[in-house]
Amino acid sequence: MKRNTFFAFASPSIVVMLLLMVVPLLMALWLAMQYMTFRNITAPEFVGFRNYIEILNDPFFWRSFNFTALYIAIVVPSWVVIGFIIALFLDQVSGLTRGVYLSIFLLPFIIVPVIGTIMFKQLWEPSGLLTWVYQALTGARFRVNETSVKTLIIIFGIWYVTPFTIVVYFAGLQTLPAEMIEAASIDGASRLQKIRHIVIPYVSSLTVFILLFSIMDSYRVFDSVFVLSELNPQFKADTVMTYTFLTAMQFQRLGKSNAMAILTVIGIMVVLVPFLYLMYKEQIAER
Amino acid sequence: MRKILIVLSLLGLLVGVPAFAQSGDACNIDAPAGPVTIEMISWPFAITEFYAAEMEACSEVDNLTVNTNLLDSASLREQVALALSGGGDSPYDILHGANGQIADWGAPGWVMPLNDLVEKYWDEYDLGDIPQGYWDSASYNGNIYGVPVVGNTLHLVYRIDVFEENGWAVPDTYDDLLNWCDEVGLDNPDWELIYAMDVSRSRAWELEFFMLLRAMGGDYLAEDNMPAFNSEEGVAAVDLMIETVNRCVGADGVAFGLNEIQVAMGNGGLPLTKIWASRAATMADPERTDLGDVIGYAPAPSVVEGGPRAGSAWLDFYFIPTNTTNDPDLVFQVIMETADAASQQAAAAVGSTTRNSAAEYGGPYLPAANETIGNGIGNYAVNPAVSIAIAKLEQYLPLVWPGDMTSEEALEAAASDYITEATAQGYIEG
Repeated sequence: MKRNTFFAFASPSIVVMLLLMVVPLLMALWLAMQYMTFRNITAPEFVGFRNYIEILNDPFFWRSFNFTALYIAIVVPSWVVIGFIIALFLDQVSGLTRGVYLSIFLLPFIIVPVIGTIMFKQLWEPSGLLTWVYQALTGARFRVNETSVKTLIIIFGIWYVTPFTIVVYFAGLQTLPAEMIEAASIDGASRLQKIRHIVIPYVSSLTVFILLFSIMDSYRVFDSVFVLSELNPQFKADTVMTYTFLTAMQFQRLGKSNAMAILTVIGIMVVLVPFLYLMYKEQIAER
Repeated sequence: MRKILIVLSLLGLLVGVPAFAQSGDACNIDAPAGPVTIEMISWPFAITEFYAAEMEACSEVDNLTVNTNLLDSASLREQVALALSGGGDSPYDILHGANGQIADWGAPGWVMPLNDLVEKYWDEYDLGDIPQGYWDSASYNGNIYGVPVVGNTLHLVYRIDVFEENGWAVPDTYDDLLNWCDEVGLDNPDWELIYAMDVSRSRAWELEFFMLLRAMGGDYLAEDNMPAFNSEEGVAAVDLMIETVNRCVGADGVAFGLNEIQVAMGNGGLPLTKIWASRAATMADPERTDLGDVIGYAPAPSVVEGGPRAGSAWLDFYFIPTNTTNDPDLVFQVIMETADAASQQAAAAVGSTTRNSAAEYGGPYLPAANETIGNGIGNYAVNPAVSIAIAKLEQYLPLVWPGDMTSEEALEAAASDYITEATAQGYIEG
């Protein structure tokens, strides 16, 4: 394809990408170097890298970063493992049963995130259903504290996004050639050996894709934290995103919150580049 | 067919009469020459919902449509900051705010001074019926920025029958309260909680701290805007707040927000609470509880006997943005039709109003609310720097009860952050 033809076709996308991604990113870079509040928004003061230095010395930022890292460390493997197991289970059933189970497992994904979180929170309020169940089972009252709030955020995260991994793995398993499994059966491989040596390698590219998506998505977790912790510092459950929001809206430090957003982009890129490189290598190998 | 129509008409009357009885009066505004849409933004509680309905009734005027948008107070402040800070046309024509917003929105010029309009309509809407002190609270640097429409405070709500049966006296001071809690027992199985105060949100810790600090004679800022909350009184206020939580509220009660407190009181699971007068007004609502007849009201306790009540005097206002795209005169008339004497007299059934002429229409909570406001600690100084102090205290005070910081450490950290921020924003000379 001639270069001119390529640009003729690609230019609308390039323009949209520039307007929606590159321009805001450049604006964020500029804003991150300003001391800006809602009061001086039309005449901000240039402060260079002071916002970044302030963030790196801000214990609340590091606390939010630590919880974000903990959230990723627990939630992402859970999505992969639980999603893969349920997809395997769905692959074993057929017909109406499969449809019913698939519908049940996909239910969390259908609900609007913030609505799902509000409903989940109401179940755990002092007069909530699950609070009552908890008390009936343990004999103790359910207490809203740092541990319980963080646990609920993580449980909700796992419950809400696992259907995505189920769908991806389930779709992948449908393309697994039956001959490979049959040959392994003839060779006397056990069910676990077939999973270990055939299924898992077969869906490895999907696993990389899921990890890529999951890390990026969980790094940006906001809704569930916002609703379940109500951004109360007592619970120490802020994530990088909610602390960025607090910095902008409650502390009115718009420049500093933009600097946090830039650091978030950098953080995501640092984590994702190895995965992107891995995917690139796989594609080259496949060609 | 005729019978059906008669029955439907009677049903309509039955439904319509109570609704009519609860509304104020007609919206007496001259119809604008062309179509005008006025957008109001507010946060909902019983009386502001009433006012919103009154405001929407002005849509009956030809060429006039009034839309009301109700969302929680934090979201409202975010929306207003985002909409007005850039200086463009305001998407809203009427804003609901409280004491803190007079300086917050007035100082940067987001809302317009109303002095001329207040003067113009003083007689027509009998604005002298609103106490001068309320107008003073609505003013910053000599400009009146808001029309005071709701009075509010925090006071005690208790179960009359339970207190009488047990021979308990309603606490008049914090010492009384703490002793009463010890007597009843924090783990008393008869009650879900023995005492409730809202500490479920970071803002709630800050509000309680402010009330105790002022009741002890302290304040947030000195005259030069340097922090004064990290004083001896400040530390004592935090300590008293934590002691109250430990001896009266308990670990189970810190999760109870205002809604949960109201439900617990209505269900008979709570004998005593300190809560907003705006909530107290609906606490005995027969649609919410069967205990309405035995719910009583008392002023907020003092920290020291004979000292000021630890209850702040809050006012809610309606503001007009400087960059409203509609005629401010018309917008002001819509506000005043919502807050005229007839409307406020009707509104007094569901909340504390601001007109002297509406006082006698208030519910049974009103004497307790008035006593708390009249002998209470007032409100924040009208100073934009106070907002910075509030934000910092909201960040650090919730960390004291779980034991992450001592009272001194939390106040010092808040003071240090406040100084940095207030200096950067020009409120403290660097």
